[in-house]
Amino acid sequence: MSRRYQPGPGILISIGAVAAAVLLGIVLIALIGVPIGDAVDAFVDGTVGSAYAIAASVNRSVVFALVGIGFVFANRANLTNVGGEGQIAVGGIAATAVALYGHVAGLPPGLPFVLPMLAAVAAGALWGGLAGILKTRAGTNEVISTLLLSFIAVWLLYWCVQSNALLRQPMTNSATLPESLEISDITKLPLVTADPSLPLNIGLPLTLLIAVVVAILLTRGTVGLRLRAIGLNPVAARRAGIATEWYAVAAMLVAGGLGGLAGALMLQGDQYVLKDGFSSGYGFDGLVVGLLARGSVVGVIASALLFGFLRSGGISMELQAGVPSAVVQIIQGIIVVALAGAAYWMERRGTTR
Amino acid sequence: MISAESAAVFIGSSIRLATPLLMGGIGELVSERAGVLNMSVEGMMLTGAFAGAVGSWATGQPILGLAIGLLAVLPVALLQAWLSNTLRANQIVSGIGINILVLGVTTLGYREIFGERSSDEIPGFGKWAPPLLGDIPVFGQAVFLQVWIVYLGLAIAVATMLVLRFTAAGLAVHAAGMEPGAVDKSGLSVNRIRYGAVLFTGLMSALGGTFLSIGDIHTFTEGMTRGAGYLAIAAVIFGNWKVGRTIGACLLFGAATALQFQLPAMGVDIPNALLIMLPYLLAFLAVAGLVGRQSAPASLTVPW
Repeated sequence: MSRRYQPGPGILISIGAVAAAVLLGIVLIALIGVPIGDAVDAFVDGTVGSAYAIAASVNRSVVFALVGIGFVFANRANLTNVGGEGQIAVGGIAATAVALYGHVAGLPPGLPFVLPMLAAVAAGALWGGLAGILKTRAGTNEVISTLLLSFIAVWLLYWCVQSNALLRQPMTNSATLPESLEISDITKLPLVTADPSLPLNIGLPLTLLIAVVVAILLTRGTVGLRLRAIGLNPVAARRAGIATEWYAVAAMLVAGGLGGLAGALMLQGDQYVLKDGFSSGYGFDGLVVGLLARGSVVGVIASALLFGFLRSGGISMELQAGVPSAVVQIIQGIIVVALAGAAYWMERRGTTR
Repeated sequence: MISAESAAVFIGSSIRLATPLLMGGIGELVSERAGVLNMSVEGMMLTGAFAGAVGSWATGQPILGLAIGLLAVLPVALLQAWLSNTLRANQIVSGIGINILVLGVTTLGYREIFGERSSDEIPGFGKWAPPLLGDIPVFGQAVFLQVWIVYLGLAIAVATMLVLRFTAAGLAVHAAGMEPGAVDKSGLSVNRIRYGAVLFTGLMSALGGTFLSIGDIHTFTEGMTRGAGYLAIAAVIFGNWKVGRTIGACLLFGAATALQFQLPAMGVDIPNALLIMLPYLLAFLAVAGLVGRQSAPASLTVPW
């Protein structure tokens, strides 16, 4: 049904689209009346200005990369997972629930922070897998089902932090905020460096490991070949003896599980408290990262880094130079539209593959 | 017990809340019947809501705001039509890209134009009740006193049903979605039909959007469509690509939204989040196929 994104020389098109969009963003900033020098200074401060800024940008990139890897994996079977936002949300809910109320304190070292992550993976996989099952059983378009599931998940999260029966912190006075308690220190992700000014957590090596495994699965093993066969021609794939339905559901389980894991990293590595608006558009950014990558895991890492730093720079430009964050959103929109438009143009030229 | 008054208010607000969905949904239905899936209904609605509000605020005339809202959506709809038909882009991805772009542009534009005046009320349309219907005791004012766009939307929906069913143009739209090859052989241009259908979706969605901003609440807020465009798409699937059933689906989603205000007013204690979620939940159950077999146009999302 939908055209799949091919890896290959499309990298030039991707770079061109990003460059054009960023240029347009700079023009917009000038039009708004913010001095370009101020905006650039703020951008540099927020991205590479300090060890802390670098670490924050990388941690953001890690979240985008996980959603993007999931997108690329499912897209190999011609499934478009646009539900990253909801998968992050349910992942955050599950991780919070287990970290706070899962009696993980007395467990052997490691388990207190691993179990919430596993719960998040399971929750995200459920959210993604549901769309996969509907796709194979009822023929429901996974784009619309994952989108609707995202809306449901975002309000589910709102419910969880509003209700005392769920995850809201106990009301001690009338000013108690509608958010969860802070998770305990042993459930927070350990840092990879001893230096607290560079707060890179284990999410980074974990994500790199997942990237390598997925890249090998997609390019070296039979899994990638089968997913591709299903994506290109499901009828022929079924005739060839591939359990197409099983693979389609599995692809969505993986994509959703990685989204759930992204939610756990956001909670346990960065925010520590679950509150309304937790997923804050990261799922949609991750989707764009997956699109930019044009089917390649290396491409996901590259575009995740780009977007992680772009987002950090955008936040810093908003705080320091008064540049509305909507400018970054416009840049992202142009990138997606340009790449969608360029995909066929490249295939017609026969430059893919 | 539910009083007649509160039932009347509930019906009235269901219709009001269903209206933007209905317009976007009818527009999307025509485009999907012609074979193009517009994920950009959301962005088109937001464009209409924003441009309509700006136009009405700048001119002081809601009717000019409406016209500006409809004009402003044309470039967005043309972009979607060009991407989906001429460039044969992935319709889902291009639509989502347009939605992100429109959300960014309208949010930025809103801050630049309205700035500190953000809470100002914008000139909007007043309400009107049809002569006889408005005089019905209890129900008359509560149900039928609506912005005239509501009646316009219903009229267009009925007209669309008649055009699709009884005219050559309707047949051409239907054929472009089912058998584009046959349309091409008959000498008609598949792409021209599909461009037209996407423009129709744009205009209808923008009409729904302007209803949101200058019809219903007389102000614009960032991202105010809040997924209404996706609900409209779900309504088309729920409605099995038929006008009558799509109208029914929109009314159902409108009623689910109205419960948010109705149940707390009646003292029913249900978590607010569950009520806000309800239309999306219903839409999800609908697309999950719990309402029977779905028969999408054969060439939906396949560029010609």
